[in-house]
Amino acid sequence: MADIASDLPMPATRPMRLHRISLLGWPVYAWFIVLVLVPNLLLIGTSFLRTSNGMIAFDPTIASYLRLWKSASFQFLLVKTLATSFGAAAIGCLIAYPMAYYAARVVQKNRSVLVLLVIIPLWISLLMRVFAWRMILGQNGILNSFLVGSGILDQPSEAFLYTGFSVLLTYTYISIPFCFIAIFTALEKIPHSLIEASQDSGASAWQTFRHVVWPLSRPAVAIGFSLAFLMTVGDYITPSMVGGIDGTMIGMVIASQFGIANNWPYGSAIAVCLMVSVGVVLAVVMWAGQTKGVLMGDEGARPPVAAHRLSPGRRLLRAGAAVAFALPYLFLYAPLALMVLMSFNDSSVQAFPLSGATLRWYGELAENGSMLEAVQRSLVVGVCVVLASTVTATGFAFAIHYGRVRQARFFEFALALPVAIPGVVLGIVMVLATQLAQIPSGVGRIVIGQASFVMPVVLMIVLARLRRLDGALLEASMDAGANHWQTFVHVLFPSIRGAIVGGALLGFTLSADDVMVTLFLSGTSPTLPIWVWNQMRFGFTPSVNAIFTLVGVGSLLAIVICNRLLNRASAAGAGSGR
Amino acid sequence: MTDASQPILSLARIDKTYDGATRPALDRVSLAVAPGEFFSILGPSGSGKTTLLRMIAGFERPDVGRVLMDGEDITDVPPFRRDVRTVFQSYALFPHMNVLENVAYPLRMAGARKAERLAKARDCLHLVSMGDFAARLPHQLSGGQRQRIALARAIVCRPRVLLLDEPLGALDLRLRQQMQHMLVSLQRELGIAFVYVTHDQGEALSMSDRVAVMSEGRIAQLGTPREIYFAPSSEFVAQFVGRSNLLPIDCEPRGGALTALLDGKPLPGVAVPRSGAARMAIRFECVRLAPAGEPAEGSCSVPGTVEDVLFLGNALEVNVRCGGLNIIAAVPSAEGERFASGQPVQVLFDAANATVFHG
Repeated sequence: MADIASDLPMPATRPMRLHRISLLGWPVYAWFIVLVLVPNLLLIGTSFLRTSNGMIAFDPTIASYLRLWKSASFQFLLVKTLATSFGAAAIGCLIAYPMAYYAARVVQKNRSVLVLLVIIPLWISLLMRVFAWRMILGQNGILNSFLVGSGILDQPSEAFLYTGFSVLLTYTYISIPFCFIAIFTALEKIPHSLIEASQDSGASAWQTFRHVVWPLSRPAVAIGFSLAFLMTVGDYITPSMVGGIDGTMIGMVIASQFGIANNWPYGSAIAVCLMVSVGVVLAVVMWAGQTKGVLMGDEGARPPVAAHRLSPGRRLLRAGAAVAFALPYLFLYAPLALMVLMSFNDSSVQAFPLSGATLRWYGELAENGSMLEAVQRSLVVGVCVVLASTVTATGFAFAIHYGRVRQARFFEFALALPVAIPGVVLGIVMVLATQLAQIPSGVGRIVIGQASFVMPVVLMIVLARLRRLDGALLEASMDAGANHWQTFVHVLFPSIRGAIVGGALLGFTLSADDVMVTLFLSGTSPTLPIWVWNQMRFGFTPSVNAIFTLVGVGSLLAIVICNRLLNRASAAGAGSGR
Repeated sequence: MTDASQPILSLARIDKTYDGATRPALDRVSLAVAPGEFFSILGPSGSGKTTLLRMIAGFERPDVGRVLMDGEDITDVPPFRRDVRTVFQSYALFPHMNVLENVAYPLRMAGARKAERLAKARDCLHLVSMGDFAARLPHQLSGGQRQRIALARAIVCRPRVLLLDEPLGALDLRLRQQMQHMLVSLQRELGIAFVYVTHDQGEALSMSDRVAVMSEGRIAQLGTPREIYFAPSSEFVAQFVGRSNLLPIDCEPRGGALTALLDGKPLPGVAVPRSGAARMAIRFECVRLAPAGEPAEGSCSVPGTVEDVLFLGNALEVNVRCGGLNIIAAVPSAEGERFASGQPVQVLFDAANATVFHG
């Protein structure tokens, strides 16, 4: 027997591989070069040029950096921007940690609903959320009209809006969901047996938290913090809407260099400085957040068992905790609820008391031609972006997962880079790239710009699903006599379909809500959020509330469907996965 | 074990029903563990043995009943104030601490100084022969090694009672046997009372001073391994512990005495308490086989035909068809190829080895 076996030629390759064309790796390299590498190199290159008479002169110089080096106001602004985002992310984590702990380890029922409720605001247009805060904080805003109406203040205060504080508040508002998701995921993963082992070893509740729960969740806090920090540090929408002069942030300066000021090299230099400082901050945060050791997953994730016979004191404590847990939800949803309420208010002043119900603002929308055109454009852009991203991402996911790409780890990380670049910087990077390729501003540019960050998101989702897939399924299919193509059609694709559709829907909401990148690329053909943004700069019309309400409802529907699909996908995965 | 020694741990009439469950997880369970005793709780999954263990550790509260330790009521004492340590089924090693830190954790919680606790933890690691692994992280260890660390962490404080929740469940056969020897010698050396939960009767019988067999939240039988094995008090115990034939018999008065009838034929010497239908348990290894026609010589004898033979290494399991019944006999494999399918044989067993259950 052994002789026969040794005579057989041994196959050199791994037995289980989809034999797809090995050219499959090339699109990955091409995407990386065209949409990640070249644009970012362009940014760095441009920062070493100078302008003359509003045109870029190809004359290598470090003038822009020298100017920044000497500019005290730039350095102040950079530090202020970093400090505000850092502060907001830190406060966000402080608020989100107890929430996540409560949701992950105390609540027994409806946990997924509680989690979804925190995540939903993430998908509601950023513009809408920021605008809601303006409505609350403004001089004629709801906070002022409440304070004056209740006699606490004699006249409306200007202290709320157009200050550094209002930016910090809004950034915190944006940060909470990011911090929450990351921390919740980690806390939920801590096996209950570890908590019991700690108690069994004689540790009190506080000691258990300090020595077991906190070290195990610290990396997630760092991740949540970093996500929140990244989201706000490149934000130029929020400061220009609620910040005023005192709340100016560096993103606005970069944006203006590519707009009114029209000094691209200088703007690029600021962007490079911003990226480098953000990189340094994040590196420090990640370093501080690391914990040694690996959860092996065999510790047994028994859900906590409800304690019986609570004493009255404990019951009071429980009730207190539940109330405290509800407060952040109020903070998250009050602005959105106000906006919906105001969209039905029969008055062009955004203040209480309400003056009666109306559908007037919705009616006005239906007659607004330029808006309808923008909606149409948003849909076209969204569909194009989603199609391009989903097809590409699925192909890339296969290529990476089935070993058709050299240095797969590197490319997986590199393709995701645009997601980790501050919004304003990604915007100008894409301007530079599309300008070089001589693509005119408009739909084409927008699609390319948005696809650069939508594709990686879909890729991550599909890849995660592929990795959870049990390899034995494919082997079983082949074993049952299916060839590669049949296996793909009948086994592989059905198992990842949910992830692809979910990723596509998520991509659509990302595309439809985006302002930061799109604003640079749209030129004279605005998508809906850009149109709204332009409207708001000219002055406020209550119709904006109506648009946002409709967009919000639309996003919500998309999320519910997307969540359902992803859940079904993961439920199917849980059955077959590890 | 003398009666004079006060039990280190006793449970008094414990009831527990989980929320939403229809059947109680524990139903009037009482037991006492003597100091330094190796006490096993044996039962199939879902019999309540893990609930019982968690009750002792303090992770569950009984609905009714008391948990006493050294005569002191600890029912309402939280787990971290009980002088009880648990070796978790999943080991539950802290993934972010190295082996030494894991073992020193209980000492750290007790407020021991660093030098002292590290020294003690090192001693304890040597005790489980893991001295060379102090700096490793749990994910760098094999299952058997993690098992030893979990054990070391549990005994480093020298608790009065050590709870072990199926600690060998995840190990392969050879490691399991090694660990059994280690556990027994460790228990002798430390003099700690072990409460050992398992569904593996081999582990329970080989290591324990006493065994409680659990079924559906109740203690079905409590006794020494010998008692459990040779004098099962119920059909459940007979079937769960060891491997037994369960044969339907009829008990009728015949010739002035109650006699057991198997398939209509009398079994001389089998003691039956009352008349009516009953079942007789007889262990595989208590059944002998002889060529057909050989005299029975005082044993009960049933004729039959060999249906199939399983080779188990040290023994053969021979399945014999006797009329409407199947009787399995475990015979030493040294008896060789004497039995083949279709061969007529005599099934023999001693009446003393049979246990009869009514109802």
